[in-house]
Amino acid sequence: MYRETGLVNSPPPSAQDDAALLALVQKGDEYAMASLFDRYSKVVYSVALRVLRDPASAEDVLQEVFMQIWRNPNGFVATRGSLGGWLAVVARNRSIDALRRKRPSEQVDEMALASNFNLADEAERNSLMEKARGVIYLLPIEQRKTLEMAFFDGLTHSEIAEMTGDPLGTVKTRIRSALTTLRKAFTA
Amino acid sequence: MSDQRRISSEDLALFAMQLLSKEETAEVSAYLEQSEEARRELAEIQGDLAIYAHTVDLHSPPAQARERLMKQLAREKKAVPIDRPVEAERRASEAPVRSGSIFTESGARVPGYLTEEIAPKRGAASKVLPWIGWAVAAGLAVTTGNLYHQREVLRNAVTTQTSRLDHLTADAAAARQVLDTITDSSAMRVTLTPAGQTAPVPQGRATYVASKGTLIFLASNLGPLQPAKTYELWLIPAAEGAEPIPAGTFRPDEHGNASVIMPPLPKGVEAKAFGVTVEDEGGGATKPTLPIILVGE
Repeated sequence: MYRETGLVNSPPPSAQDDAALLALVQKGDEYAMASLFDRYSKVVYSVALRVLRDPASAEDVLQEVFMQIWRNPNGFVATRGSLGGWLAVVARNRSIDALRRKRPSEQVDEMALASNFNLADEAERNSLMEKARGVIYLLPIEQRKTLEMAFFDGLTHSEIAEMTGDPLGTVKTRIRSALTTLRKAFTA
Repeated sequence: MSDQRRISSEDLALFAMQLLSKEETAEVSAYLEQSEEARRELAEIQGDLAIYAHTVDLHSPPAQARERLMKQLAREKKAVPIDRPVEAERRASEAPVRSGSIFTESGARVPGYLTEEIAPKRGAASKVLPWIGWAVAAGLAVTTGNLYHQREVLRNAVTTQTSRLDHLTADAAAARQVLDTITDSSAMRVTLTPAGQTAPVPQGRATYVASKGTLIFLASNLGPLQPAKTYELWLIPAAEGAEPIPAGTFRPDEHGNASVIMPPLPKGVEAKAFGVTVEDEGGGATKPTLPIILVGE
């Protein structure tokens, strides 16, 4: 893995946790950064690609998100939850910003995220993905579609209401209900 | 939430997804500052969204994305701060200044511990030496950078050459296999004729590229030779009055098969015909001896 980049004297890939890797990134360790990239680039890229529907733009977001970690690893602290989850949401928000062609939101850096999942572990990550897809698949179609329009397409509740012809309150409730169902499935 | 009338969970979800207007965002932000419960709920919603983000169909980023990141990291290398004797400085600055404060040329006061001693006079050498150190460090950095670049160039060149060598080796192996098949005396050679006809007659097939001077000749059903005799292949040039050129001698195996592969021939000689004669073995004939056993134009 490291040989591809011409990096030498690299530590072997290990199950180092995200906090340890971030501490190394803080010290300027490029290998730790590469490990984080190998671990999470697929999710970050996929989320960006889903929002932007353009591989080149998605790659730009991918670079931007990881360079943000490199420049400011303190932007994420372990107490804010799982790094994998944080990156997925940051990738989504950065992509929406790119979609709207606006400056990156500061709110992203300040985001706290409650999560008990160890997304650094690939097996656990895959398991979470499968389970989440299953839950979403079983949602009522209106809820599923509304959440998708809000999260992945970045449409506001007003825009969704206009497009679907549903009342504003219904749109908001559907989004909230979908998220609640998702949370319950993972806390049960 | 304690203030459900103003900011609901639905609003927090929209806030988390950055879907509220500027005014609404400001309102929710203000509310979050004063409500710990709302902050907790927002964190839960962000956790829900993180899970939802993971429902996306996975795609691998382009291979060069990692390379691009590593290059960017290298460009933005971090300067890791060296631990400074902060405590010592603090203690020294708090100590009584016995010899008065010393100010630098820019007017800044130097740490207190220096003020307790008379600053040594700095000669020209002491002013220059630190800069020499920096110059050496800069030189080393440039040299290291150049060496790294050279190493990358060389490594790319080796990779390219290795790839090319692999191709050539594969080509050579394939060509060798073709030749081995053609010249293998144990190979089965069959001449196909129309059904019901008599046994095949002696025949040869010459494949010749004049511009390269390359020739492959394959013969079959040749009769056995008398002792001390050999078959010889001749190239009859197209040029008027040109003498036939010997193109190799050969003896058929027990099945009447024979071949001449790449005999030494001059390049660029256009051929009018090829012929096979029987010559004395090792005689080195300069002209074909009649009769011509096989001929083809």
